[in-house]
Amino acid sequence: MEFNRRNFLKFVAGGLGGTLLSPLPWKLIDDIAIWTQNWAWVPVPERGKFSYIKTVCTLCPGACGIQVRKVGSRAVKIEGRSEYPVNQGAICPLGMAGLQTLYNEGIRWKAPMKRVGPRGSEKWKEISWDEALDTLTTRIKGLRDKGVPEELAAIDGNQSRSTMALLIKRLLSSIGSPNYLRMPQEEDTHTMVNFLMQGINGPLAFDLENTDFILSFGCGLLDGWGFPGSMLSVWRHWISDEQKKHKTHVVQVDPRASNTASKADIWLAPFPGTEAALALGIAHVIIKEKLYSKEFIENHCFGFYDWFDEKGVEHKGFSGIVLGKYSPANVEIITGIKRRVIIEVARKFASAHAPIALAGRGKGTFPGSLYEFMAVYALNALKGRINTKGGTLITDDVPLAPWAEVEYDSVANNGLTKERLDRAGTSQYPFTRSLIHKFTEAINGNQSSPVDTLLLCSANPVYTIPDNQSFIQALAKIPFIVSLSPFMDETSMMADMILPDHSHLEKMIDIVRPTGIQYPLYALSQPVVKPLYSTRHSGDVIISLAKRIGGSVAGSFQWANFEEAVKERVSGLYDAGKSKVSWEDITKNGYWYTPSHSFGEWTDIFKTPSRKFEFFSTEIELALKAYSKGLRPVGAYALEGKSFDDTLLDLGIRSKGDEVYMPHYEELKSSGDKNQYPLLFLPIEFINLASGWIGSPPFLNKTLFDHQLTKDDLFVEVNPKTASQYRLAEGSRAILQSSKGELSVRIHLFDGAMPGVIFVPFGLGHTAYDKYLKGKGVNPNEIIDPIEDPLSGQPVWWNTRVKVIKA
Amino acid sequence: MEADAKKPGRLKMDGWIFFLVGLIAALIVGWMVFPLLLYSEKSQPLIFSHASHGPESDAGLDCEECHFFYEDGTFSGIPGIKKCMECHEDPESPLSENSEEVKLFTDYVGTKKEIPWLVYARQPDCVYFPHIAHVKMAEIECKVCHGDFATRKVPPTYKLNRLTRYSIDIWGRNIAGYKKNTWDTMKMDDCADCHKRKGKENNNACFVCHK
Repeated sequence: MEFNRRNFLKFVAGGLGGTLLSPLPWKLIDDIAIWTQNWAWVPVPERGKFSYIKTVCTLCPGACGIQVRKVGSRAVKIEGRSEYPVNQGAICPLGMAGLQTLYNEGIRWKAPMKRVGPRGSEKWKEISWDEALDTLTTRIKGLRDKGVPEELAAIDGNQSRSTMALLIKRLLSSIGSPNYLRMPQEEDTHTMVNFLMQGINGPLAFDLENTDFILSFGCGLLDGWGFPGSMLSVWRHWISDEQKKHKTHVVQVDPRASNTASKADIWLAPFPGTEAALALGIAHVIIKEKLYSKEFIENHCFGFYDWFDEKGVEHKGFSGIVLGKYSPANVEIITGIKRRVIIEVARKFASAHAPIALAGRGKGTFPGSLYEFMAVYALNALKGRINTKGGTLITDDVPLAPWAEVEYDSVANNGLTKERLDRAGTSQYPFTRSLIHKFTEAINGNQSSPVDTLLLCSANPVYTIPDNQSFIQALAKIPFIVSLSPFMDETSMMADMILPDHSHLEKMIDIVRPTGIQYPLYALSQPVVKPLYSTRHSGDVIISLAKRIGGSVAGSFQWANFEEAVKERVSGLYDAGKSKVSWEDITKNGYWYTPSHSFGEWTDIFKTPSRKFEFFSTEIELALKAYSKGLRPVGAYALEGKSFDDTLLDLGIRSKGDEVYMPHYEELKSSGDKNQYPLLFLPIEFINLASGWIGSPPFLNKTLFDHQLTKDDLFVEVNPKTASQYRLAEGSRAILQSSKGELSVRIHLFDGAMPGVIFVPFGLGHTAYDKYLKGKGVNPNEIIDPIEDPLSGQPVWWNTRVKVIKA
Repeated sequence: MEADAKKPGRLKMDGWIFFLVGLIAALIVGWMVFPLLLYSEKSQPLIFSHASHGPESDAGLDCEECHFFYEDGTFSGIPGIKKCMECHEDPESPLSENSEEVKLFTDYVGTKKEIPWLVYARQPDCVYFPHIAHVKMAEIECKVCHGDFATRKVPPTYKLNRLTRYSIDIWGRNIAGYKKNTWDTMKMDDCADCHKRKGKENNNACFVCHK
């Protein structure tokens, strides 16, 4: 009975056995797990009675219905509204994390500020709202007194038809400045397609819910494209049980295995920038095999067959050009897609009951290529899918009541005769509304800045525009910059004065006809919480600024505040629908829409000069001829002695003949020498990373994998084959160098990445905001070398060449 | 020889006694001492008698009189002091001479303080539980989850888990987690089992409750 080592071990063994046969370890494991949730520093929402505020998310133009759960005065959770027509309960990660744009005090401006140190030194002094508004008023009045109101410019990122955008544009017009600039986006390209091919000014719309075949040329349908909440809900519908019999087939054209490509039925990866050729190759098969809609083509289209003009000159039709140039064999050479695959996809598209071809890139944050979008849209016309159920839709405008005309005094009238600095809308860029990189060039190309005062609203161009370094140079030359951003973003850090807006949950703001949505919808958000800081609604700021300027400017702004301005527009909706509605109904629901679509007749819907769907765009013909004849607005630079072909080259068009008026493939000029810069640098977008003007909330950082972001290192995706050529392994550090600059990154090997291409996500690499964003990763915009998209003049952000240097 | 042969054998047996001692000691610790250490007992601020308020009592109140749904479908839970004051309105004339009612007036009604009830069914914040889906839509009786509180004269002792800070009733009063009645335990598995039994397996997706 000696208690020796051996017996001690037996005692311990018995003890262990007994412990394992008791609930102790199992219960402890469970309790410890719960204990870790109760640590004092783990944030827990306040306890108390819930209340829900129904509103609309305005973080992107998607206009998803959201309800915000509140405990007392604190908003604690954002959820999708299942009864809202757009998103039917679905909501994207950014929308869900929206509370952090409200409560993250490290990123918010808390009161009006005046810069006291040198620009960018981040030294600020708080000032009163009166002082801030007085300073700006004096500045603008000074410009008007000198007779140079056009030296005031504004860069606006609000949704294009929203009341905010209208107010800012109205302010500039009434003051007398034509320099109202908008941040470029994919909607701009779609709107141009709508105008050139259908004669309609407005966004394109697609009946995605009722389609059974989607041919998407790069739209990240599951990666946050267009209206992410709505798109997620539509995809859910496509794969739902009741849809099993009529499952919607998805063909995704994408150089990388994105979420969308991975979930698609067929994934095609053409060389980036050759999507138009692929679309025309598909068109070739449809035309050659006579799979197109004869009824639509013969009666409602212009320019499909060869034709003679008034002078008796013969013109090539779209069918002739496509049959001649875009055979699957030729397209295989251009795109790298096998000819039998092109034929297979074309046949599938043509034999589907309700197919849609959709042009786009990533999330649709940035513009696309005009001719490419036209080529893709032409596929819809070939199948007669225009304005049909499950096809593309031509929807009416939201019948908002127009405001009274702007009042112009002589100063304003004089200022508005000046040419826009970006030359958008002139005969050089007749179809483009705004060209921010041309605006940048105009400033950088002048000894002294032609802009004296710049207003920035809901935009962060220092971060979001391609080749942002040029824009930063331009900013440095502008004497006075005023930011209305609610956030301490990159652009407001370069400003001289901050007039901070409320965050999206603190204000009423509207979105009119979200892009792509199949019905005319008006969305109106509600303040969910009282403003936390001494911020002011930018709409109210614009109105009070106009009143302070006085005269005809004040006369153009008769409303007491933003809400009154909205109310006046909304009054047009009260009797417009089937049943009457009131202001209270619209503010309570957060939307107004007409759910049923009247399709109308093809004979009446097209507003092109030919009153038909135009494969041959008469508008392009008129514009190019006018441009080559030198019919330019006053102030445009001279173009004497240029031949028509030179004119085309001037516009970036390298094709010749009738093709230039029709959808066709333009090989893009390379942004760098292929020998010096052998790899293509392609920015990509993720649904869980905000790539627009609003910085990603910290919650979203948690959704990134270690092979996307580790500490401050951003990983770029490279095909293992390409990586081995440069002796790069998983996690290797490397420098990406373009003609514009270099980025320091790490390598992630990804079989789903096209060889020869380096994929870099948008959304990181901020140089402002707080510790969760600042310095994390790199921003692709820094080294993008944007060439101009032919005809539209928009910056091409997907064609930069780089070399990779192992670090 | 015999004695020699026995000796090592006896020695062997002796050794196993240590094993048994260890085993039994551990079993005692695990089954009896551990629960005593894990939980601390707390008493409710008032000894509230459901029996003298409930449907069978003189007061004759239905459960939903105090535990009601708001118009928007959210559940009121344990009523606030306002609800008590609808009947116990006059501090000068209590309804009975019950010392607990006197305490209600002196400590809470008089000072307009809410009663800090200890909630047996309190779940972690990461769980979203809608009463309306269970009580109104699935028509599940209160007692299925909470036990038969309506007839209780004295509330059960509240045992606080020192580690998790939740009531013992979530894991169950049986330390082994053994369950006899539906209301004995209220862990996630219990939710999931019931959903499964009722053919609502879709509701076991993570985001239905953890949203």
